[in-house]
Amino acid sequence: MNIKKIELFFFGILFSMLAQLGHAEAFHPGGAPGTQTIDGYNALGPKVEQPIEFPHYTHANVMKINCMYCHTYARRSAVSGIPRLDKCIGCHKMIPEVRDRPRIKKLFWYWDNHISIPWKKVHDLPDFVRFNHERHIQRFYFQDKRPVREVCGYCHGDVANMTTARRVKAISMGWCIDCHKKDHQISKVNLKTTNGPNDCWMCHK
Amino acid sequence: MPVKKQESIDTGERAMAAEKRPIVERRDFLKILGISGAAATLAGCGNTSIESGVEKVQSYVQPEDFVVPGNSVFYASTCTQCPSHCGVMGRVREGRVLKLEGNPNSIISNGKICGLGQASIQLQYNPDRLTTPMIREGGKLVTASWDQAMKIVNDGLGKDSRIKGNEIVFLTNSVSGHQKVLINNFLESYDSKNHIAYDSLSTQVGDQVRENIYGYTNPVHKIKEARLILSFGNDFLGAGVSPVYLANQYAQFRKAPRGTLIQIEPRMTLTGGNADRWYPIRPGTEGVFALGLANALIQHPEYDTTLPTELTESLKAYDKYTVGQITGINPDAIGHLIAMMWEKTPTLVLSGLSAEGHQQGYQNAYAIELLNVILGNVGKTVTAPMENPFPQMTHVNGNYQGLVALNNQLDAKNVKVLFMMGVNPVYTAPAFIELKNKLSNVPLKIAMVTQLDETAELCDVVLPLLSPVEEFGTHLASYQPEAIEIGIQQPLMEKLHAHTKSFGDVLLTLLKERDEKSYSKYPDYYSYIREAVVKSKPVFKSTLSDDDFWDSALMNGVLHVPLKEAQIDKVKIESVNLPKVETHPEDVNYPFYFVPSVKADMRDGRHANLPWLQESPDPMTTVVWDSWVEINPKTAQDMQVREGDILEIKSSMGSVLAKAYLFPGIQPNTVSIPFGQGHTAYGRYASNRGVNPFKIINPITDEKTGELALFATRVQVTKTALNEKVVKDEGPTTLQQGRKLVATMAADKAELSKEV
Amino acid sequence: MSLNNLIKNWTSFRSRRPYLDQYKNADYKWAMVIDLDACTGCNACTTACYAENNLPVVGKERYEKGHAMHWLRIERYWGEGESVPVDMVPDRGAQFLPMMCQQCEAAPCEVVCPVGATHHSADGLNTQVYNRCVGSRYCSANCPYKVRYFNWWQYADTAWPNPLELQLNPDVSVRSKGVMEKCTFCVQRLRESMDHAKTDGRLVRDGEVTTACAQACPTSAITFGNLANPQSQVAKKWKNQQIALEKDEQKKDENLRGYRIFEEFRTYPSVVYLERVRDLEA
Repeated sequence: MNIKKIELFFFGILFSMLAQLGHAEAFHPGGAPGTQTIDGYNALGPKVEQPIEFPHYTHANVMKINCMYCHTYARRSAVSGIPRLDKCIGCHKMIPEVRDRPRIKKLFWYWDNHISIPWKKVHDLPDFVRFNHERHIQRFYFQDKRPVREVCGYCHGDVANMTTARRVKAISMGWCIDCHKKDHQISKVNLKTTNGPNDCWMCHK
Repeated sequence: MPVKKQESIDTGERAMAAEKRPIVERRDFLKILGISGAAATLAGCGNTSIESGVEKVQSYVQPEDFVVPGNSVFYASTCTQCPSHCGVMGRVREGRVLKLEGNPNSIISNGKICGLGQASIQLQYNPDRLTTPMIREGGKLVTASWDQAMKIVNDGLGKDSRIKGNEIVFLTNSVSGHQKVLINNFLESYDSKNHIAYDSLSTQVGDQVRENIYGYTNPVHKIKEARLILSFGNDFLGAGVSPVYLANQYAQFRKAPRGTLIQIEPRMTLTGGNADRWYPIRPGTEGVFALGLANALIQHPEYDTTLPTELTESLKAYDKYTVGQITGINPDAIGHLIAMMWEKTPTLVLSGLSAEGHQQGYQNAYAIELLNVILGNVGKTVTAPMENPFPQMTHVNGNYQGLVALNNQLDAKNVKVLFMMGVNPVYTAPAFIELKNKLSNVPLKIAMVTQLDETAELCDVVLPLLSPVEEFGTHLASYQPEAIEIGIQQPLMEKLHAHTKSFGDVLLTLLKERDEKSYSKYPDYYSYIREAVVKSKPVFKSTLSDDDFWDSALMNGVLHVPLKEAQIDKVKIESVNLPKVETHPEDVNYPFYFVPSVKADMRDGRHANLPWLQESPDPMTTVVWDSWVEINPKTAQDMQVREGDILEIKSSMGSVLAKAYLFPGIQPNTVSIPFGQGHTAYGRYASNRGVNPFKIINPITDEKTGELALFATRVQVTKTALNEKVVKDEGPTTLQQGRKLVATMAADKAELSKEV
Repeated sequence: MSLNNLIKNWTSFRSRRPYLDQYKNADYKWAMVIDLDACTGCNACTTACYAENNLPVVGKERYEKGHAMHWLRIERYWGEGESVPVDMVPDRGAQFLPMMCQQCEAAPCEVVCPVGATHHSADGLNTQVYNRCVGSRYCSANCPYKVRYFNWWQYADTAWPNPLELQLNPDVSVRSKGVMEKCTFCVQRLRESMDHAKTDGRLVRDGEVTTACAQACPTSAITFGNLANPQSQVAKKWKNQQIALEKDEQKKDENLRGYRIFEEFRTYPSVVYLERVRDLEA
C-alpha cells in the first residue's frame, strides 16, 4: 500500500477527531469560557427563579438537617428527583409559628389544592447523559463515611449557604473523567485505591 | 434490572396509582424525572438540550411510599390479547407502563410472553384511540358526552321494558370471567339469553369432536410427555390455543429424550416450520390420511385395543394406495409413520384449523382423534382438564354459529338493540353474509371499542373503553393445562384518556337502570370484582383476611384452584362419523385450493392496529406491512409468475389482488393469503393495507357443526401485468450459501442428555 | 513515531484480543447461548427488543429501502447449500436464526470507526456511543453479521406519534438521524444490576439480570449471563460445548452442538449457537 495514501487517511481521521473536539468544546455546558475559573470547572450557573424561594440555608445550615432527609431519592435511584410535597408538610404542620410567613403560605396553598410545585431544574445534563446519584452517595457517603455536605457539595456546591440552589460547577464530561481518574481510597481502613469506571456505556446508553 | 422484582409491589388497593391523591396533571407526572430526562432525544453532535433553569422538575404531592423516581415497579396482571390469558407483569415508572413481561407465577405464561402480548402497550398508547363517545347525528358519527351517549342507549332499551328477550343481542368474541357474568346478568334482566359469542377463527369443530369422544371440549394435551407428535395442521406454536404455554412444553419435548414432531398440512405453519418431517397434503383430505394410518395401525400384531367391529370393518376401505392417491402423500409414508408410532410411545395426535375447516371438517377431526384412541394415548398424553369450580366464569368459545345466529335474527328483523364488544363482524364476516346491509335494519347498534373499526363506524353509539392495561378484570383461559388458573387483571396505570370507561362500569350502569337494589352497593366495577374475588376465598382454602386475600391476588396476578383432577372415564366412538373415501372433484373453473393462513400476531385482524406487529415479519415469509399470496415456486414457474407479480385470486364470491410470494412450504395446487390485513378503518396502521381474505370465502360449512369451512374455498389465479416489490426482511437469497449459519445435526448424533 | 510505527503498533494491539484467560480475573464478561433447536422463530424476542430499546417502527416505505431498525431479527432459510431445485419440498421445516450483534471480542467494526464511537468495554461488550458517532457507516460496512443499523431519518419525530412516545424506555436514548445503532445486550439492564450489586458489595448473581429477548422467549432458547463466573448457566454451557472465547477454531467432539457463526473470520463472537436438531429418520 502506498504510504502517502495511508498518511492521507490518517490525516483524515485526525482531522475528524479534532473537529469532534471542537464540537465538544462548543457545547461545553460550562457556558461561556469567561466564567471558568482556576481549576477549570467552576462555572456559576444562571440564577433560577423558583416558585417558592426555598431557603436551603435555614434547613441545612441553621437547622442542620441532613441533605438526604429531604432528598431521599438520591441514595436509592439514579435520579435524585425532587422531594415529595408531603415531606415538607409533614414537618411544617408541626411548626405553627412560621405558618404565616409568605413562603410557607405558598407551600400550603400548593398542598391544599393538591398541586405539585413546578420547580425549575438547576442542574441539567444533556439527554444522552445518565448520571447515577445512587452510586455516588453509596460510595462516598455510606462506604467512605464522608460528611454528607462534602459528598453532595462536591458537585452541587455549598448549598447549605444558599437560599435557592444555584449551579456552581460546570458539569462537564471532562470534570467527571478527571475525578474518575483519581485514586479513591476504598475506605478509611482499607488503603487500597480504586478509580471510577472509565466506560462510555456507564453514562451513555 | 432484576428479572423479578415483585416484592416491591405495595399492597395498595388501586395498586397502580402512584399518587394517593391523583392531582398532578399526567403530563407533569412524566417530568418529575430528575436529571436524566425521559424519552431522551439526542442529536449527532453539538445539539444538546441543556436548559438549566428552564425545564421543570415537578415533585409528587403525596406518592405511595414505594414510588421512587427512576426506579421501576412491576405489577402483575393478565393479558387479554388472545384467549390463552397469560399472566403478565407490567414495568411501571413514573406512572406509566413501559413494558410487559411474563408473570413467573402464572402456569400459562411461566414468566414468558409472546410478541402479541407485549404489543398491548401499543393498544394503550395508540395515537388512533377513541377518546370520547360518539353518536350518530345526521348520518354521521360525531363526538358526544357519556351522558348523551348513554341516554340514547337507555332510550333504546326503554326503562319500562318495552324491549324484551331476543330483541336485545349482545355480540362478543370469546369471553370469560366477570365480563361474561355481567353480560349474562344484564341480558337476564331483560329475560334475554342472547349472548352471542362469535369468533371468526373458532376451534368449534375440533371442540365438538373432543366433546363427543371424551366428554371434554378442551382435554389437556401433554406435549412434554409425548415422544412423537403427529399434528394435522395444528399450529400450536403460532396461532394456537395457548402459544406461550405450549411453546414452553414444546421446548421440554425437545430436550432429551428428544421427541419427534411430524406436521401434516397443505401450507406450512410456524409449527410445520419446526417439524422434523413436514408432509404437504391435499387440503381437506387429512381425515382420509388419518384413517389410512388407523387402518394400518389396527393391523399391527401388537394392536390390542378393541374398537367396534363395524368401525374396523369400515376402516378397511382406507388402504394405503387409495389414501395416497386421495391425499397426494406417498403411500409408503404410511408404513413409515406407523413404524415410528409403535416405536416412539407415548404419542400424541393433534388436529388443527386447516384439517377442520372443511365440509367434512368434523369427520376429519374425528378420524384424527380416533388415532389417539387407537394408540392408547387417552389418559397418557390426552387427559381431562381440572375440575372448574366457577362454571359461571368459564370461557365461552366464540364460533361461526354465533354469526349465523345473529344473521338469522337480523333476517327475521327482530333485533332492536345490538351491543358489540371485542368483535368486528363487518370485517371478519364472509362477504356472502352481507352483514353490512343487514345491520342497517337494527334500530340501535352500540359498539364498545378502544378504536374505531369497520363495525363501530356503522354503529349508532360508540363507547370508548379502557385499554387492557387500564382495566380490572378476571379471566379464565379456554385452555387450562395444569390447574385452573384465574388471571387477575389490574390497571398498570391510571387511565390515559379522561373520557374512556371500563366495560364493566358501563354494564354496571346499565344494570343499575334495571335493578337498582342489587347493584347500588357497587360504586364501580372494581368493587364488584373485588367482592366477587374475595367471596370465592373458600375455594382457594385461604386463611387470609379479605383485604389480604385481595392484595395477594393482585400481587400474584393469578389464583390457582387446588388440584382436583378429573379423568376421561369413557371414550365413545361411532363409525358414522368417518370421512368418505373420495377425491375432491377437480374444479375446472377454480383449479386452486385457497388455504388462508393465520398469523400468530394478527389473528383475525383484530391486532392490525399495532405498529410493532405490522413491522414484525411473518416468521415464514418475512413479509411486513402488507398482504401477499403464497404460491409454490414450481407453480409460479409454470405460470411464469415472479415475486411481486400482482395476482388476482378469484373465488365464486369475489376476488382480491395481492402480490405473489414464492413459498416452497405450500402444495403446488394451493395458494394462501394471510388473515389480518385489508382494513378500511381501524386507524392509521391498519387501514388501506393489503386485502381481506374473509371476503372471498365460499359459503361452505362443515356438515355436522355448521361451522364455516375456512379452508375449503376454491379459487382461480390469474396473473396481471402489474408487479410491485414485496416488502420483506429476507435478503436476496433464501439459502445459506454454504455458510454455517443454521447448522443442523441428526437427532441420533446429538447427545442432548449430556448437555447442561 | 512514524506513521509506519503507528500502524504496526495498532496491528499488534489489535491482535492481542482476545487472549487466553482474558476474563479469568475479570468480574464480568457478558455472553449468550442460543439453542436453535428450541427457537421456533416466533418473533417474541424481536418485539421485546422493540419495546425495551426504543426501536422505531419505520413503516412500509422505509422498510422496503432496508431501513428497518430491528437490532434483533429472525432470519429464515430454506436450505444450507447454494441452490435447490424449484420443486424442493421443505420436508425438514425451515431454518430460523435469531441474529443480533455478536459482541465480537475482536470486532471488525471497532477498528474502522474514525471517531472511536464504538470500542470494547471492560466487561466484553462492543459499545456504541451515540453522542460520539458521526455516521460514517464504516462499522456497518465492516460488520460480517450485518447487525448495525443506521438512522437515515429523524425517527424521533415521526415513529412515535403522540401519545405513543409515552411507551419509550427512559433508560435508553432515542437515537437521532445520522447515528449508527445496534444490539447492546440491554446494557441499561446490565448497568443497573451491576450498580446494585456494587452497592451491596457483591457481583451480579446468575439469573439476576437478563436481556429483554431472553426474558421474553417462550421456549427459553436464549441463555444470557456472565461468562467470567464459571458457575453461571452460560459459562457451563460454553464449557459443556467445549467452546473457548479466545479460539478461532473449535476442536471438539463431533456430537456437540455449539458453534459460533463466522468463526473463520476471527471475530471471536460472544454468542454461541447450538445446532438445530432434526430427526432425519422421521
